[in-house]
Amino acid sequence: MKELAGRLTAVDPDAGAAVRVISYFDRLAEARAGLEALVRGAAVLAGCPARLADTARAVRVRVEPDGTRKESWTPPDPDWPCAPLEPGGPPALWLERSGTGPSVVDAVILERAAGAVRLVLDRIRGRAPAAPADDPALVEALLDGTVAERTRLHAARRLGVDPADPAVRLRALAPLGGRPRVLTCRAGGRPADAELPAGRVGVGPAVPILDLPGSWHAARTALRFTAEGTARDPGPRVVYADELGGIVLLADLVPSGAEPPPDVRAVEAAAAVPGLLATLHAVAATPSQRAAAAEINVHHSTLQDRLNQAEHLLGWPLRTPQGRLRLQLALIMRHLARP
Amino acid sequence: MTLVPPPFDPELAGALELIKDMIQPGLTMDEIDLVRQEPGIELLAQLDLTADGFFKVEDRTVPGPENAPDVSLLICRPVAEPTAGPRPVFYHVHGGGMIIGNNRVGVEVPLTWAKELDAVVVSVEYRLAPEHPHPAPVEDVYAGLVWTAEHAAELGGDPERIVIAGASAGGGLSAALALLTRDRRGPRPIGQMLMCPMLDDRNDTPSAHQMAGLGVWDRTANETGWTALLGAARGGPDVSPYAAPARAEDLGGLPPAFLDVGSAETFRDEVVAYASRIWQAGGVAELHVWPGGFHGFDGFAPQAALSQAARAAHLDWLRRLLG
Repeated sequence: MKELAGRLTAVDPDAGAAVRVISYFDRLAEARAGLEALVRGAAVLAGCPARLADTARAVRVRVEPDGTRKESWTPPDPDWPCAPLEPGGPPALWLERSGTGPSVVDAVILERAAGAVRLVLDRIRGRAPAAPADDPALVEALLDGTVAERTRLHAARRLGVDPADPAVRLRALAPLGGRPRVLTCRAGGRPADAELPAGRVGVGPAVPILDLPGSWHAARTALRFTAEGTARDPGPRVVYADELGGIVLLADLVPSGAEPPPDVRAVEAAAAVPGLLATLHAVAATPSQRAAAAEINVHHSTLQDRLNQAEHLLGWPLRTPQGRLRLQLALIMRHLARP
Repeated sequence: MTLVPPPFDPELAGALELIKDMIQPGLTMDEIDLVRQEPGIELLAQLDLTADGFFKVEDRTVPGPENAPDVSLLICRPVAEPTAGPRPVFYHVHGGGMIIGNNRVGVEVPLTWAKELDAVVVSVEYRLAPEHPHPAPVEDVYAGLVWTAEHAAELGGDPERIVIAGASAGGGLSAALALLTRDRRGPRPIGQMLMCPMLDDRNDTPSAHQMAGLGVWDRTANETGWTALLGAARGGPDVSPYAAPARAEDLGGLPPAFLDVGSAETFRDEVVAYASRIWQAGGVAELHVWPGGFHGFDGFAPQAALSQAARAAHLDWLRRLLG
């Protein structure tokens, strides 16, 4: 498809290409393709990443032009061509392409893809119950342990959660800079990526309704362990409180905004060298040096050079279990000490 | 017997829509010359063989079969010095229905493996039917493998770790090559990767009938390819297993096989049967049937979810095979 997509845009940007785009999305719609396939179609035909983000329905899909799904939620560039799902609605589908000016083919891709996405959303959201609605006042009541139990159960019911069902479990979510959210989770499982808000998120444990204040507290703690997931701030964008284990104890020992411990200052000094912070994170977060080299796309020998340099700057070894643990703790404390 | 074809995977149905002007399901003998001139499958051959400088690329001419012209090998090996001794070798046989293509077609697939697994790729050129009927293609492929095994060290390759691989006609020729090397006590590849392989000249399975006129490489096209290779002998009692591996009576003693095929293609039933017969002969095979896949779907639509899954399965198998 890549070659063909190239031909589409290069050969006849107006008539022929538009017809092909239309028949492509028509076939996808006929075959009842899902959201990812539709967003992938837009990315492949346009030759740039495409994203679908519909906050109201908690749907997020982003696909690279090579067809791989990749979540990377920088804010949309105002230059990007985009389309709403409903006429007059907010933009929900973007082609991540800047500075090329309006193109007829892009417009046709967006229009056809958005139409097909709308049909799928109507189909799947009409069948499956949506996540609890995001009424801020109701969510706030659920998360506040000082609110009377009866009021909290009532709020749950209003949000579409059945307090009489003993199997019902919910998780509190703490997005950075956003308002709190609550997700029902099936059989205690983890939410799908599309259900989570963009950016850094702490996820509380799955609990019965009345234990949500505890889940919320844990989610906010977990948020402190998150990172942007970029080269400048490597680390997990989403952290589950119930996966931290004993590491959570560090949260109390290193308060936010505190004077960073010496190992964190050493890491900060090393981070001034371009690429070194990502290297340190890769070494700490992957099971082997081979995997670490693959993670940051460098050759094994380059990784060794960087490790030598990092060990020199940090003053402790990185190729021993103890050294790796010390590095992991330093990277975690670095996040915790942020203001 | 029902003739309702299984539906194409949604994304692949869309992809077929995009390529329908260039790739038609059928192909007759009269159209072979025309197809050879079209961009069609050659589109798949346009790529940077060095993969951004990762490989050094050369074409070598090596001795062909007895009393036959030399054979041309495309050799791509990593520029970097090997870190762990001689590298595995992927010996690639291109597709094209026995009648079209060259050793660039489809080579991006083994190149991707080689980049991931630090291996050498050798892709063999072979004479095409109908100008050169059986056994010319498979003998060229065999001669290229003999040279590769004997000169592996020269290429930084390990003669004990050669995996033969091909898609479509290249898969069929790879399967035939596995039979030939077994029977002639020639080089012993450690694995055979048969991607949607063309195995059976009889062209008479339920899937061949079911998919007539649909997708890519339907029953008419398949008859054209086999007739080009075998002439009037096609489908008759005297077809060599080295031409059509499905004809082999003994599938024992073969190297471990990976086979895959789409559920919506002519070759589905012959590939499934071939895998079953390898197991029945006490052999090792891994079989994937990709639901709603048309012939060669992962090459034509590499971005589709099903294609990504198929390509991941190829790599996983190689990783396990090579340890």
